[in-house]
Amino acid sequence: MSTSVFSVISRFLDEYVSSTPNKLKVVDAYLLYILLTGALQFLYCLLVGTFPFNSFLSGFISCVGAFILGVCLRIQINPQNKGDFLSISPERAFADFLFAHTVLHVVVINFIG
Amino acid sequence: MALNGMLGLFLLTVALGAQALTPSHHLSAADVARLKSFLNQPYTELESAYYTIVGLSKLGASVSDEKAACQFLKSHLDLSSIDSLFFAAEASQALSGCEIPVSNETRDLLLAAVSEDSTVTQIHRSVSALSSLGLPVASQEVVSALVARITKEDNVLAIIQVLQTASRLSQQAEMGGILEEIEDLAARLDDLGGVYLQFEEGLEATALFVTAAYALSDHVDMEPPLKEDQVIQLVSSIFSKKSWDSLSEAFSVASAAAAFSSNRFHIPVMVSSQGPATVSHRQPVLQLQITDVLSQPLNSVSVQLDSAHALASKSVVLSQEPFTQRDGIFELNFMASQPASGYYQFSVTVTGDSRLVANHVELKVKVSTEVSITNMDLSVVDKDQSIGTKTTRVEYPSKAKTSFTADSHQNFAMSFQLVDVNSGGELTPHQTFVRLHNQKTGQEVVFVAEPDNKNVYKFELDTAERKSEFDSISGTYALYLIVGDATLENPVLWNVADVVLKFLDEEAPSVIQSKTLYVPKPEIKHLFREPEKKPPTVVSSTFTALVLSPLLLLLILWVRLGANISNFSFSPSSVLFHLGHAAMLGLMYIYWTHLDMFQTLKYLAISGSFTFLVGNRMLAQKAVKRLGSK
Repeated sequence: MSTSVFSVISRFLDEYVSSTPNKLKVVDAYLLYILLTGALQFLYCLLVGTFPFNSFLSGFISCVGAFILGVCLRIQINPQNKGDFLSISPERAFADFLFAHTVLHVVVINFIG
Repeated sequence: MALNGMLGLFLLTVALGAQALTPSHHLSAADVARLKSFLNQPYTELESAYYTIVGLSKLGASVSDEKAACQFLKSHLDLSSIDSLFFAAEASQALSGCEIPVSNETRDLLLAAVSEDSTVTQIHRSVSALSSLGLPVASQEVVSALVARITKEDNVLAIIQVLQTASRLSQQAEMGGILEEIEDLAARLDDLGGVYLQFEEGLEATALFVTAAYALSDHVDMEPPLKEDQVIQLVSSIFSKKSWDSLSEAFSVASAAAAFSSNRFHIPVMVSSQGPATVSHRQPVLQLQITDVLSQPLNSVSVQLDSAHALASKSVVLSQEPFTQRDGIFELNFMASQPASGYYQFSVTVTGDSRLVANHVELKVKVSTEVSITNMDLSVVDKDQSIGTKTTRVEYPSKAKTSFTADSHQNFAMSFQLVDVNSGGELTPHQTFVRLHNQKTGQEVVFVAEPDNKNVYKFELDTAERKSEFDSISGTYALYLIVGDATLENPVLWNVADVVLKFLDEEAPSVIQSKTLYVPKPEIKHLFREPEKKPPTVVSSTFTALVLSPLLLLLILWVRLGANISNFSFSPSSVLFHLGHAAMLGLMYIYWTHLDMFQTLKYLAISGSFTFLVGNRMLAQKAVKRLGSK
């Protein structure tokens, strides 16, 4: 049982390293960074309480929002998904990503106190 | 006997049914003195001298120095002015031994003023001057001139002067038309609330109207067409003002007062009691004063009590009883009919002169008495009635020799009777209170003693039931009985006994606080909001570093992956795009530190649209490059 899980994971990792284009790996690294930041913020909140609750929320929402936008970007620029996004070129996806981030940042800064 | 009763009843109905109006105001002796002193002002000119001299003479007084007054009149007389002649002539008539010299020119001047072309005032003044100076007046000419003027000047003051002029003419003149004016003028009076009757022109006009109407009516010996109620209302109006604004107003009030007190037809009469209208055994006689509007006593009248009935029971106590006159005061010994204490309504009639107006009066009279407390019995009763009661009798005003003890198993009881000293009957006064006063703590509790159906007052104190009123504080309480009423001459505050009350000790408050309501209360200290507990700085700093560490990891990964900026084309649009984007991120930081949302949105709109335009260009170039290289 454990061997099948382990083998699935190692297989997955191999395939990932070999067949994913570099561009996507860059985005994946960014997503991992966002994930870790969010998780650490959540851990801090669990440890010391929610005193400036608004600050915690804005930081956490920032991470969650950025992660979601990053995922959207990754989906849209993946050449394998080109069929699903015929009218959206990678440049367009990036522009959308930037615009959505601007809105997210305005909200987060407003809320951070 | 029955006939007397019926007659009494009939008269009672008549008296009550008439409910005659009585004047609400008149001039008391103090008011008359004030009026006289107000009129007695030093002369400034002929008109004010006229008001002073003639006004005082109407009130029956005279100026202090008649010679000086006469001299003043002569020196200020202007022989060419009708007004001046009028004032001087009238005033000189009021002074004794003052003669104004008259010449033919003066007479001609005055006679010439009597015509249709002069104003009513001029006609009035010239006729009055002629009459006062003893010169002949052509009455018929005057009447025709006045009648002609009435049609042209029909305001109230002009018609009043017409009436006054007519009263100086000969009695043979045809004055029918002028007499009708009295009734017309009376119709113009305003009724205020059924109490006052006056002209809208004011008090002075009303007073002058009264003077003129009675002067003319007396002159022609015809009763003025004024109803009794109207006369009473006029009296109320004219004498309602007790301080006067001007000499002319004071003069008009004095003239009206003189008219009301000595005309041939209507004499309003004032009935008032001497002192408070109270009778008792010590003061059994009700004394009434009968005066006219100037508070001068009317001695040639007789006063009769039509009926006196008790207000509470409406039963007639006395009827058809005359008052006896003594030194100008009318007296009646009411206590002779042995009335019970309380309030009575007296219906009094003043007769003796057919001119009397407002001579039926209703008076409220109080009969007071003295109370005595009898059969005061105090006892301590056990609740379960197993131990017999011991009753102690206490005589007023002494105090019980021993104190009474009552604890929660016993009741303290008190019973007494209140008796009218003079009649022996039972009384139920308005206030019968039992007050218990704790001398040590200053606490007092008051209860009401109620009579039973035999008019025996009973008070019972259930110690257990009433403990909340006493705050369960045990101790010695002084017991007082308070009896009071408006008709009692001797209210009672009697310390009857001392009562020791025992409450269950555990219920008593530990600190016996005197019930002080009005001392400063403890200060309320405002508690500011405590800041929330923050974690220690070490923890926060550690976590700040931890949260920033994934950034390091990201950079390492990117380098590992080979991400680079070697493809960066230094085209203007891409440079500008990056600058614009950096500006937007910088704006975020400034928003966090300095700005508010509106300013940020404004700057964001500017930089955002710029960045969008150049970014669009840059991405288009990239797309072209990508498609070209494919």
